[in-house]
Amino acid sequence: MADNKQSNTPAVSMSAVNKWFDDFHVLKDINLTVADGEKIVICGPSGSGKSTLIRCICKLEDHQRGSINVLGTELNDDIANIDEIRREVGMVFQQFNLFPHMTVLENCTLAQTLVRKKSRKEAEAIAMGFLEKVRIPEQANKYPGELSGGQQQRVAIARSLCMNPQILLFDEPTSALDPEMISEVLDVMVSLAEEGMTMVCVTHEMGFARRVADRVIFMDEGEIVEENDPMTFFDHPENERTKLFLGQILAH
Amino acid sequence: MNTSNQTLNDVLAPPKPSFGGVLKQRLFNTPLDAVITIVCAGLLFYLLYNVIDWAFLSSIWKAEDEPLCRDATGACWSVIDARHRIIMFGLFPFEEHWRSTVACVVMILTIVLSCVPWFWSAVRLGLLWILGFGTFYILMHGGIFGLTEITPERWGGLALTLFIFAAVSIIGMPLSVILALGRRSKLPVIAKMVGLFIDFFRSLPLLTILFTAAVITPFLLPGWLQGDKLYRVIVGFAIFFACYQAENIRAGLQAIPPGQDEAGLTLGLSYWQRVGRIQLPQAFRNSLPAIVNQFVITFKETSIVTIVGFFEILASGSAAFGTGQWTAHYIEVYVFIGLIYFIFVFSLSRYGAYLERKLRVGHG
Repeated sequence: MADNKQSNTPAVSMSAVNKWFDDFHVLKDINLTVADGEKIVICGPSGSGKSTLIRCICKLEDHQRGSINVLGTELNDDIANIDEIRREVGMVFQQFNLFPHMTVLENCTLAQTLVRKKSRKEAEAIAMGFLEKVRIPEQANKYPGELSGGQQQRVAIARSLCMNPQILLFDEPTSALDPEMISEVLDVMVSLAEEGMTMVCVTHEMGFARRVADRVIFMDEGEIVEENDPMTFFDHPENERTKLFLGQILAH
Repeated sequence: MNTSNQTLNDVLAPPKPSFGGVLKQRLFNTPLDAVITIVCAGLLFYLLYNVIDWAFLSSIWKAEDEPLCRDATGACWSVIDARHRIIMFGLFPFEEHWRSTVACVVMILTIVLSCVPWFWSAVRLGLLWILGFGTFYILMHGGIFGLTEITPERWGGLALTLFIFAAVSIIGMPLSVILALGRRSKLPVIAKMVGLFIDFFRSLPLLTILFTAAVITPFLLPGWLQGDKLYRVIVGFAIFFACYQAENIRAGLQAIPPGQDEAGLTLGLSYWQRVGRIQLPQAFRNSLPAIVNQFVITFKETSIVTIVGFFEILASGSAAFGTGQWTAHYIEVYVFIGLIYFIFVFSLSRYGAYLERKLRVGHG
């Protein structure tokens, strides 16, 4: 049934979405469609609303106007089965947010057993498969506090993948990492992209954007200012604000 | 061989200073330090000697009769020998003391077993406590299996202290979790009302709450809801306990980064799954010292129920020297009771320290 939906409806479609934090207008008339299998990179200066935008997709934030459709279901206050949509949408956070009181393996099996009702054995087999994919199966029985930042973020990605999500959201996944650990996380993300995962990434890793993005979106002051394929976006930006931003982050 | 050792020594950390060296540096560094050290050490030895002399050297352990104690300069421990039954069992009928003893052992066993991690699941803990309380109740109360009935007014001593402590903990802990979660509720009405509830009961002295539970609630509640005075007092005590413990747990919940809950949300976990698997385990770990502290306080505070007419161990002790020939030896009785409290509370504290070490796994 889910497969049927995928072929017909976009993974995410937002139309005229507006959001306020009290008086602060953080998202202004956002229109965005993410097709199934599409990879989108969102960038922009801090405070531009890019994190808020993807947090709206998994309803970590509520929007006040407009509509958001995820996998064919509209997100609003009425739906009691919001958890059902959340389990189809994975999220990888800047601060990893691994559960510190559980081992790496337990982090990866928790939601499988509780939400997907898998047996412990089955869940562990799936978890080990994804830990191998992110190349840290040997850390399975350690606690998150014993791992480096890059390793923790790869565990976080594996934890999301264990739920077999149809969309994966990344909220600045490499911003909290030491420079030498960024590439190990990006490598995992690239291989996911190559396998056809639908991805929406908030990131400033422009090399990654060039390599895997189908579209790059530039946000500023709560608006989508520019949206283009990576080649055009980086080589021939149209908007002045985009040019200024790219100049700043690519200057060195 | 020698040379390789030499090079190895070069890269090793410098040796730790010797014990004597540390002692000299810390205690005898200057002449004034030396004087302070010697005076303090002298005082300490003097006190220690007097205590040992009183308790062991000049004490009388076995006396047929109190008058034999009158000439002794040390402790008269025969008061414990003569009156220990009253101290340990209070008003419990003499010939049924074995029941109270077995009940104490059962209760202690239940408490100790529930400290073992293997029992830490709702089902196992629940079964353990139903079994523990059930056995305790049948032994103490009787009325079935050919045991004579003994109503709670006549329970006393250690058994009563343990029962009140265990019952207050077992009612109070779940209640404190509910209060802590309620006060953090996203619904303002619930958060405000729970906050008011907690602040109301925290603002009252425990004594007032126990008095109200024992004396006033019978006028307010219908007969079938009143229960025995002991149970009303325990419920009142448990509410008081829960209000304090809820704030400890809430402190532990506040310390969890919001990202933890968000991670649970995006994995599709329900509210109770996030609470049970992500929030509470971390909250308990965060505020373990304060939580253990509250248990320690509560164990000692059980002695306050004497005010509403229950002979827990401290009150039974007072009764032990309060009548007859042993009036002069209250210090020995209090030292004995103090030791009993110490054994329980000290074990509780050490268990808390063990838990902290155990739960720190993977946190540097």
